[in-house]
Amino acid sequence: MGAILAQVAVSGILLGGVYALISIGLTLIFGVLRVINFAHGEFLMIAMYASFWLFSRYGLDPYGSIVLVVVLLFLVGLLIQFLVIRPILNASASMQIAATVGLSILLQNLALVTMTANYRSADTALSKAVISVGPLLLGVSRVVAFLVALTITGLLFLFLQRTYLGKAIRCTAQDRTAALLMGINIDRVYLVTFAIGSALVGVAGALLMPLYPVFPTVGTYFVLVAFVVVVLGGLGNLTGALLGGFIIGLVEAFSGFYVPELKEAVYFVVFIAVLLMRPTGLFGVVGAEEVGLK
Amino acid sequence: MSATTRSEGSMFSAYRFIPRRSLVVLAGMAVVVGVLAFTVADKFYLHVLIMMLFYASISSAWNIVGGFAGQLSLGHAAFFGIGAYTSTLLFINFGVSPWIGMLVGASLATIVSGAIGYPSFRLRGPFFTLVTIAFAEVLRLLTLYAHDLTKGSIGISVPFRPAAGNFIFRQVSAYAFVALAFLALTVLVSLWIEHSRLGYYLAAIREDEDAAQALGIDAARYKLVAVLISAFLTALGGTFYAQYIFYIEPFQTFSLDFSVLLAMMAIIGGLGTVWGPVAGAFLVTPLQEILQAELGGALQGLHLVIYGTVLIVVVILLPQGIVPSIAAWAKRTFGQRETRPAASRKEAA
Repeated sequence: MGAILAQVAVSGILLGGVYALISIGLTLIFGVLRVINFAHGEFLMIAMYASFWLFSRYGLDPYGSIVLVVVLLFLVGLLIQFLVIRPILNASASMQIAATVGLSILLQNLALVTMTANYRSADTALSKAVISVGPLLLGVSRVVAFLVALTITGLLFLFLQRTYLGKAIRCTAQDRTAALLMGINIDRVYLVTFAIGSALVGVAGALLMPLYPVFPTVGTYFVLVAFVVVVLGGLGNLTGALLGGFIIGLVEAFSGFYVPELKEAVYFVVFIAVLLMRPTGLFGVVGAEEVGLK
Repeated sequence: MSATTRSEGSMFSAYRFIPRRSLVVLAGMAVVVGVLAFTVADKFYLHVLIMMLFYASISSAWNIVGGFAGQLSLGHAAFFGIGAYTSTLLFINFGVSPWIGMLVGASLATIVSGAIGYPSFRLRGPFFTLVTIAFAEVLRLLTLYAHDLTKGSIGISVPFRPAAGNFIFRQVSAYAFVALAFLALTVLVSLWIEHSRLGYYLAAIREDEDAAQALGIDAARYKLVAVLISAFLTALGGTFYAQYIFYIEPFQTFSLDFSVLLAMMAIIGGLGTVWGPVAGAFLVTPLQEILQAELGGALQGLHLVIYGTVLIVVVILLPQGIVPSIAAWAKRTFGQRETRPAASRKEAA
């Protein structure tokens, strides 16, 4: 029994790494632009399709094509920020949600029309490979996704702490007016932040491709999990998203073990409880849920 | 200070009379729909008409919370699903007439909306929206889980036993009249809210909740009243849907997509206005039904590509929605003719 529980816990933590990777982009965008991108899941879907086609057409392993997918998603982010997000930055929360929900509907169904509803998966050499560590069995793809999630978060953290652009991004997140007064081109900060957030979900898409099939609504499932994760970690809080990912991964693994039919309901209940009791998230700053959101 | 005491118990009293113009529009619409219901022989177009009326009513019901109170709920499918499932389960298991089941379902949805709304209304902006999504998802998952009662993802078929008392009609046009009555009810409730104290409180809350509270408006209380009314009306629509389509299942009735659709119609037409959701539904529904029928499986989803695009364009270019934008345009073009000569006369004098 102890070994089984350890296995469940390890699976949960590995799963959490994937969730964290999807969520970090969402939380970064929210922290800086104060916009919740409801189309974030569709960005993931685009990344997965890109990764899939590169694999099936050109035989590029999803891990090999990761750079291409990231660049593509960075460009998608630039385009969407320019066309959709920039015009609504000062609109009411309702209108911002409406615009990104519209984008989500548009992208999802564009995929349905062009790619059909078929499930497509990339069976790479590593997809089903498993390594055993003592009594535990670890899926190689999951371990890779987990390690990359940690590395990317670390790199992002360094970027935000050490570089000029990173400091400008943090400054804009804290106070856009002050940032503007200090001579920071906040328009460009928004553009770059949105593109980086999109590129991060590009990484996630490429890493998920060996694990999950891609289909037009794949984003809906993951984006709901990502919402849970980012709110749990505190919207805009990067380390919070990482820890939130692990917590939700563990919650899902254990509820999947004990009450398999209700595992999704369990983390939504956790979500509701966190929102109602501590909307700033477990690691958020009190009052953050109201900043710029009125 | 006295604002609070004066408001006690009087939030439902009409603050201003409902303009006769609105009632004339409503009556005119009723006549047109009545004539169409009798004359349209093509079953498909009759179906489109019924769906237009149906979506217009539910979107109007959503608009009471989403528009008037400015609280963007994306969880209204929960109330819709409660309405549909309650009346259907009562009808199938106990032979209770769906007319009565409809009221039971709506009452249940109202209670649930209070239980959800009371804690959730402390949250603002996207946080409120997220919690409404989560509640609807939990209800959907529970409906799937309780498959002994709800038959889970298999769904429930409503047996075809035509009788007025069973809310099942052989004549499809009868559904058009029921839908029309339903739309008239939601529009009248919306008109009455708009011109009552409640409507003014909600407008104040929507524009600036802190300022409204500073003026002595109990924001939590009035938002709660708005969601209770909205949930009741939405659940009525759930029963209508079950009785008209004859089939319900959790993925459709509790889906996030359905909640989004209601919000989308209201936003496209004009958020927080009485006629906005009606106009939005009348524009969007025929597009959906006709494209789905014409293109079928080959290009399913194309109508949603168009919706998504229209929604983004409306939000960016006409954030007020179509109805208020047309009204403003009409005022500009037709209003000026009256004001210009008056102004020049003044200058001359």
